[in-house]
Amino acid sequence: MPGQPEVRGGAAGLAAAKGVHFWAPTFKWGISIANIADFAKPPEKISYPQQVAVACTGIIWSRYSMVITPKNWNLFSVNVAMAGTGLYQLSRKIRQDYFSDEKEADPSIEG
Amino acid sequence: MSAAFKAFLKSPVGPKTTHFWGPVSNWGIILASVADTKKPPEMISGNMTGVLCVYSALFVRFAWMVRPRNYFLMVTHSCNECVQLYQLSRWARFQGFLGKKKEPEAEE
Repeated sequence: MPGQPEVRGGAAGLAAAKGVHFWAPTFKWGISIANIADFAKPPEKISYPQQVAVACTGIIWSRYSMVITPKNWNLFSVNVAMAGTGLYQLSRKIRQDYFSDEKEADPSIEG
Repeated sequence: MSAAFKAFLKSPVGPKTTHFWGPVSNWGIILASVADTKKPPEMISGNMTGVLCVYSALFVRFAWMVRPRNYFLMVTHSCNECVQLYQLSRWARFQGFLGKKKEPEAEE
């Protein structure tokens, strides 16, 4: 039909039909998924600045998504996930840096 | 105050709106990554860096297409794209994905 965008089939067509207003916020879930994948990595590899930034930006955006009209539950949920995974990664690293050292120090004193 | 500054204050994407302060919080990720460029590449997470590269590329386009157009968000994600691509290259080189140049020691 004249004036209509060309409709393509397959996955590429679906991606084009959805557009960036769908894909950009949807892909933000990738940040939380990447963080969950990184739960398996040793805490030495976690970056304090990066996880603080992820947690803070998640908390700030969660609040903003509730004060705009209309409330954006999609945006809220993705940012709650970011804040949650960021805070968990921080807790893993803090636990290793500040709480497990005491246990490791004991054997070296005795040994 | 200049007319341009007053126009900025009243802008639909200006400092009285969430469209401004949301991107401000995103600068935390950029500054954290700039700090991480000084750290050894073993600490870089390939998962997170790769995802952030795609994420920022999508949001540069989003910031351009959204109405009102959000130049600040666009600049924010352009900067993040640069630093994330740099971190990704450091990670890839460390993992051996970028191939090693012939070393004189290996040939001797």
